[in-house]
Amino acid sequence: MKEKLEEKKSFDGKKVKVVGATFDKGKPDSPYYWRKKLRSRDEILEYLRTGERYWFNEEWYGSEKRKTPA
Amino acid sequence: MAEKETKSVDQASVEMIEKAAADGVTTVFDRAAKMKPCPIGAEGSCCKHCSMGPCRVQVPKKEGVPRPVGVCGATAETISARNFARMVAAGAASHGDHARSVAELFLATAKGEVSDFEIRDEQKLYQIAMDFGVEIGNRDLKDIAIEVGEMALAEFGRQEGEILFAKRAPLKRQELWRETGTMPRGIDREVVELMHRTHMGVDQDYQSLLNAAARCALSDGWGGSMISTELQDVLFGDPVPVASQINLGALKEDHVNVVVHGHEPLLPEMMVLASQDPELQKYAQSKGAKGLNLAGMCCSANEILMRHGIPVAGNFLQQELAIITGAVEAMTVDVQCEMQSLVDVAKCYHTKLITTDPRAHIEGATHIEFSHDDGLNVAKRIIREAIDNFSNRKAEVQIPSQTVDTVVGFSHETINYLLGGLYRASYRPLNDNIINGRIRGIAGVVGCNNARTVHDDDHLKMILELVGNDVIVLTTGCSAMAAGKYGLLTPEAAHKHAGKGLASVCEAVGIPPVLHMGACVDNSRILMAATAVVKDGGLGDDISDLPAAGAAPEWMSEKAITIGQYFVSSGVYTVFGVTWPTLGNEEVTKHLFEGFEEIFKGKWDFEADPVKAAGKMIEHIDSKRKALGIDKKRERVLYDMAKRRELEAA
Repeated sequence: MKEKLEEKKSFDGKKVKVVGATFDKGKPDSPYYWRKKLRSRDEILEYLRTGERYWFNEEWYGSEKRKTPA
Repeated sequence: MAEKETKSVDQASVEMIEKAAADGVTTVFDRAAKMKPCPIGAEGSCCKHCSMGPCRVQVPKKEGVPRPVGVCGATAETISARNFARMVAAGAASHGDHARSVAELFLATAKGEVSDFEIRDEQKLYQIAMDFGVEIGNRDLKDIAIEVGEMALAEFGRQEGEILFAKRAPLKRQELWRETGTMPRGIDREVVELMHRTHMGVDQDYQSLLNAAARCALSDGWGGSMISTELQDVLFGDPVPVASQINLGALKEDHVNVVVHGHEPLLPEMMVLASQDPELQKYAQSKGAKGLNLAGMCCSANEILMRHGIPVAGNFLQQELAIITGAVEAMTVDVQCEMQSLVDVAKCYHTKLITTDPRAHIEGATHIEFSHDDGLNVAKRIIREAIDNFSNRKAEVQIPSQTVDTVVGFSHETINYLLGGLYRASYRPLNDNIINGRIRGIAGVVGCNNARTVHDDDHLKMILELVGNDVIVLTTGCSAMAAGKYGLLTPEAAHKHAGKGLASVCEAVGIPPVLHMGACVDNSRILMAATAVVKDGGLGDDISDLPAAGAAPEWMSEKAITIGQYFVSSGVYTVFGVTWPTLGNEEVTKHLFEGFEEIFKGKWDFEADPVKAAGKMIEHIDSKRKALGIDKKRERVLYDMAKRRELEAA
């Protein structure tokens, strides 16, 4: 895919060219089955402990165990 | 967008309403115009719970006039609260009974008693197993599934303790439910108890009745509906992004068209499989059709749309209109939201209306019953009936050309994945962008269509107002379809309709500003997404702390009231449109609109104007932003090395 350059302003105000957004042509013809990337039980459970840590990781604290509640 | 005098803002629907008039067919739009709502029933002031009534107990508008009571002495407040509570019970029963069907099929599948279904989403099974405390280890998948299925079924008859999915909620919310005595014990128990409490001469304190309704609704949101969603995901797959098409243009003139309508995805899943059968495709061709075309209607449509990309023919108020195209060979209906008038409309054309559920027969329809152990064969039989009916098309076929691209399938797990990828899946980017103000807040816009207002108009006006003000919208049910028909379920919609901040986030992630999260039972996914936002941190300790609001601008069914109530009981400010069922009683309405905030930190509101309602939601979101201290824009300071050194030296 060819890169599309876009002109933008940098932090110091200079005009620079940056790589713009690129898109695949056409429409997807099947669902994006990202969950199939996890193949074994171990991989799935590891993902649940990290990705779905809000519910499945005992070491996850999030906002619920903060010392100073909001 | 068209103005209020029209029946629908959807041009495809308008075209079919005109065709119906030309064909001499009466539709829901005609009946709504002809039959005005009973004013006493509409405001919740009629009691027909015993044969001493019905009693019309309207509170006098003038002060000093004695307040009437029912023959039994029931006050207007008791009657109003009882009517409201019964709506909640009916809605919870509907979702609960849907969930029971799914749980029974799930268990039969796990035990190997049915051959057409399988465990498709292992990850989701483990999620539920961990929630239920079922050991995973090296156990056989089948054994895990059997234990999960048995525990899920036991949730319906549970008499004591707490429903198992309640522990998914934020810890603070669980504490609140325990403190207020609203933690649900079992799914069926709460429905039965609420029906008992609302019987003549039982619970006669409106606040007590409304608290019981809140508990019953929670047994749906965190119970029945959540069980449906979760077990359906295990059987059919957790939704992932998929592109498809929506509106009546999904029907094809030269194909055999079969429309699946209803709510439970069990038969529709089999219909998807059957429609891909080469033998049936050939059979359709042998009858002069180019092939078979499956399309969805209502929440059955949402289910097969988000898992297979099967196009959607329409939402609730389009069910008759699909038949009026003259191109539908068969329409299957299972449970919920199916109009009895479909029989009469179908008679005017050649459509076979087929009821498929043992609990839902319609006089004059053909009944072909779905069964767990013969699901695929039943689906094939229905499709054969449809093919055989192709040659019977009698009226002129007129299919509106409108069909719009959609991207759907945003389960809370998929949102988590899209925001961070497989190795950094996280709600953090969402929270960060809410904190920095690019996203002002989150809104759940859900619910039905209602023939008392312009079809789809209120959904669209509200959603456009919200996304235009940088509020990301999570949507389900018929509301999601309204958004889809207007092109709001595509990433491109962000650029076109969203505020600058929200558009920049959508563009970076590649998501639409309005995320389709599924059918009406999948409002439980919104609860989970809200919980993930809370648990990720930085936006308070509870759902009630979030800059978030909910709405059902075109609500119609009792299920919608139950859904709204479980959102309120979960801490969400929830605005309904069209009408409000307790308007006849100021005290009860005040308790729901104000009193509940003191108990649940969430409350009801009513506003018929969708733009004003969106304004109220934004106002609420802003008040929550202020409470969190994220209401002021902070300048982003970029530190170069020299500034860093200065900091270190200090």
